[in-house]
Amino acid sequence: MADWRAPLMSAVCYRDSRAALAFLEAAFGFEVAMLIEDDAGQVVHSEMRFGNAVVMVGNEWSDDHKSPASIGGKNTQTVHIQIETDVGAHCERARAAGFEIIAEPETQFYGDRTYRCRDPEGHIWTVAQTVQPVSREEAEARTGLKITGWV
Amino acid sequence: MTSKVYVALRVKATPERAFEVFVAEIGGWWRPSDLFQTTPRAPGRLAFEAGEGGRLTETLANGKVFEIGRILAWEPPRRLVFSWRQASFPPDLTTEVEVRFEAVGDETRVSVEHRGFDRVPAGNAARHGFPDRALLARLAEYWQGQIRALGGQLT
Repeated sequence: MADWRAPLMSAVCYRDSRAALAFLEAAFGFEVAMLIEDDAGQVVHSEMRFGNAVVMVGNEWSDDHKSPASIGGKNTQTVHIQIETDVGAHCERARAAGFEIIAEPETQFYGDRTYRCRDPEGHIWTVAQTVQPVSREEAEARTGLKITGWV
Repeated sequence: MTSKVYVALRVKATPERAFEVFVAEIGGWWRPSDLFQTTPRAPGRLAFEAGEGGRLTETLANGKVFEIGRILAWEPPRRLVFSWRQASFPPDLTTEVEVRFEAVGDETRVSVEHRGFDRVPAGNAARHGFPDRALLARLAEYWQGQIRALGGQLT
């Protein structure tokens, strides 16, 4: 298997995975690295690459694998995208690709500027760019939370 | 309809150079595979004859030349299509490989789409007993390895 992939990968389900490949590329710049189609033209497997990470984009391939579009828009997990360049421009690109911006870019107490969006089938994605270094002490002072494991 | 396996990777070169090296230096960068053997013999050296209708051949150690396929579309530096058959394929079976070279910044996205490999019949040596899905997944990995090898040749 490809040797560049980070060892933790998300596999997201769509009713129309072919459309998802297109809108995820348009919104986030993910690139199709692998696509396997059977003789009926159905997507069997696909992988999109972003840096050295992969997201697998698949169909609702069992009764327990559903798109949010099939379960009332609910999400049971979301994918977080960490970027190093202009998060505002990233947000505008997602908006232009038809994604609903459910939280506009805002700088968080931990020093990242983040936004949150919903793709056309209802998956929620968060996107973040670190814009200022924040120490653990500062973060605790700002929030009143006890924080461990802050690197 | 036909099955498709598509893979893409970026290489550090212009499309012009990536296309040129893909075609002219395939004998240098190509990595033979035990799983997708072009002939039952020890792997030989691959070569393209440039231009539409040109052959993709493999010259074996004993001097014999096996024709893997012919160039069906020759559009440097963007697109190359060639037919692909392995020696074990039934006589009437050919598959098709399309290679695209697309500039992305100062890199080139090289993609390979291999069409029709699911038509290799059950029991054929080229299948190694794999069902379609496993066979196509292996084929995708095979082409990823080839593009990586091309990328290595380019740096």
